[in-house]
Amino acid sequence: MRFVFLSALVAFAQTNPHTAAADADAGGKIFRSHCAECHGFRGEGGKGPNLTTGVFYHGSSDAALFKNITDGLPGTAMPGVFFSASQVWQIVTYVRTLSKTGSFQAPAGDPGKGKALFASKGCGGCHLVNGTGATNGPELSFIGSQRPVDFLKKSLQFPNDTVDQAFWTASATLENGTTHRGFVMNEDTYNVQLLTSAKGLLTLQRKDLRKYEVNKNSAMPAFRGTESELTDLVAYLWTLQRPRSEQ
Amino acid sequence: MKRYILAAATMAAFGQVTYERLLKAPQEPGQWMTYSGSYQGWRHSPLSEINTSNVEKLKVAWVYQMPVTERIEATPLVADGVMYVSEPPSNVVALDAATGRPYWRYRRSLPEKINTCCGKVNRGVAVAGDRVFLGTVDAHLVALNAKTGAVLWDVKVADRMTGHSLTGAPLIVKDMVITGVAGGEYGVRGFLDAYDQKTGQRKWRFWTIPEPGQPGSETWSGDAWKQGGGPTWVTGSFDAEQNLIIWGTGNPSPDWNGDVRPGDNLYSDSAIALDADTGKLKWHFQFVPHDVHDWDAVQVPVLVDGEWQGRPRKLVYWAHRNGFFYVLDRTNGQFLLGKPFATQTWAEGMDPKGRPIRKPNIDPSPEGVYVWPGVQGATNWYSPSYNPKTQLFYVTAWENKGLYRKGAADYIPGNRYIGSVPEIDLAAEPGYGAIRAIQPKTGDRVWEYKVHTKPWSGVLTTAGNLLFGSTGGWIDREKTQMESYFFALDAENGREKWRINLGGTMASNPISFKAGGKQMIVMPSGGGIFAFSLP
Repeated sequence: MRFVFLSALVAFAQTNPHTAAADADAGGKIFRSHCAECHGFRGEGGKGPNLTTGVFYHGSSDAALFKNITDGLPGTAMPGVFFSASQVWQIVTYVRTLSKTGSFQAPAGDPGKGKALFASKGCGGCHLVNGTGATNGPELSFIGSQRPVDFLKKSLQFPNDTVDQAFWTASATLENGTTHRGFVMNEDTYNVQLLTSAKGLLTLQRKDLRKYEVNKNSAMPAFRGTESELTDLVAYLWTLQRPRSEQ
Repeated sequence: MKRYILAAATMAAFGQVTYERLLKAPQEPGQWMTYSGSYQGWRHSPLSEINTSNVEKLKVAWVYQMPVTERIEATPLVADGVMYVSEPPSNVVALDAATGRPYWRYRRSLPEKINTCCGKVNRGVAVAGDRVFLGTVDAHLVALNAKTGAVLWDVKVADRMTGHSLTGAPLIVKDMVITGVAGGEYGVRGFLDAYDQKTGQRKWRFWTIPEPGQPGSETWSGDAWKQGGGPTWVTGSFDAEQNLIIWGTGNPSPDWNGDVRPGDNLYSDSAIALDADTGKLKWHFQFVPHDVHDWDAVQVPVLVDGEWQGRPRKLVYWAHRNGFFYVLDRTNGQFLLGKPFATQTWAEGMDPKGRPIRKPNIDPSPEGVYVWPGVQGATNWYSPSYNPKTQLFYVTAWENKGLYRKGAADYIPGNRYIGSVPEIDLAAEPGYGAIRAIQPKTGDRVWEYKVHTKPWSGVLTTAGNLLFGSTGGWIDREKTQMESYFFALDAENGREKWRINLGGTMASNPISFKAGGKQMIVMPSGGGIFAFSLP
């Protein structure tokens, strides 16, 4: 009898009973006042990990998220909370939306045509998809799990709206006139660290620089094509999902 | 008989930090016996073996690595060759100050749920007689045997289930150990406590939030005072001549939504001066009436007997989180000066009594309002320094703005009670940091040393005419920005004399002392305590 009771509890703990839109809203409210200080206002990360990637380093199941939010994580700065179980489930629901903000339904458009477009427009010249392509822009292998459909569309139309710091570009001119251009990998009080096309990874001392300029715009051109091509391209990007077992 | 006397003398000299020794701490520059080095809160070492002419030869003497994952915020203490330092969350280790090798460790078993706002941290211990005192994150005060780490007493200061914790270093005053409390993000009612060093019995408590009927209660409405905040989480200073404990208080709760607490909300965001024997309030000065930006007054009060406009006066220097540098008369709390030391956009200035004249549209709103300084302030809890040689005040400053949002604030015991959360470290405008030297007579900036990322650590000055400080160094799991340089500057002009990258979180304060016949400089970084000396 006791065994049956325990099993029921475990089963209960593994299924999130609060997954409605209203639950996500309620969870979001708690998230912004209790979690955002470390995880960022939109879950983008900071002192705590980024929660928008669909990767949770301490367990990705609903049950693991429930436990880790309730009890915190020993040995890390993640504290537990004193909320009711229902409220914690609402937080779980909200956190799920961060890596799956759009619809779980496939968006309109023809992913096959979109894939062809991705190839013909040369997107792979900068973006990596499942090991194919280059790394001059963000990897897109799981972009469908990471970003909502609206965001994908907007990023294609207005690439400068959201540019991760890792893709800012810099131009650094030494006292002798040599100029290095590349992605800004890191900066500190005394050095700048670049990924240059000519010399690879490079550290330059600020004191040796005559000029140093950072361009925070995207290196990606805005999408030029028809509305239906754009829809197809987004439909293709949406199919780039993390395998279900890893979510 | 002779042997007995010798033994007694030895006993007195080793491991016996008496109140008399603490009073005269600056006369024993080889020690670092209390949080700020002396009761005056100067964080200044009178040692000059390491100085501007030889500091470039500074080398790592030893490193002690803590078996911890939490952030080190502790200021180590050194008494008679032994270093006492807390290991977060609530452990203590005693090390040989010359070698970094441990003698003993106190390891506390903690309950699973500890609700601290900003990590399970500890800023250090206090030492008196043969006891070491530690405040714990589960809100206890513990006395340990200084030679073995054995627990002598362990008293509950407050209820951890309602968000109370002890993170600050206690302060020894006479036969008492003074401790504050943290929990301003959990709606605690703040207080400052005094305990008997021998028994752990509480001698007095000063509530930083008055209850109805008490003076100051007119600055509150309804029941808001019960969860009014005003914590006391950074160690204060002591004016022995006036018998006054001078301490800073934190934000009123909830932080960013002041609707439930109309009024000035005394004694939040204030300097309070208490009679050391009774805990009775002698004077107060509130820096930010009705704070809605989380600008705690949790800075170390710097006590200086100086000249003010031609006559000698007992002063307090205070660079506040709100961006202003203040000078107060510490006999009565009178406001003498308030001048920005960093960019601020919230006040036109001060009225003659030091009450800020607020600009319009600075309060948090649901959409968010940009205000300088950002929520972590123009400075924070990490220590400033005063150098009696240069007679300058030194502070770690932040140039940054924040997006202040207001949201619902529902009080649920043990949970955050803050009213939304502001955005800081805005990706597009991360701001920068600086070490600034301020002329306290005018509030003018004498020099600054700019750093790329905003530092989370304090500064030390020495009689070697040096200032030790650091760049930013803060764990950010998603970025590679963390820089962790520890450096020495010329205290006169801010020129860099030496630096090293320590590679870990920098969220503490440097100290200096003598061990093995040499002057040492110590700074924590990451999980390590780094000690430097000349070869």
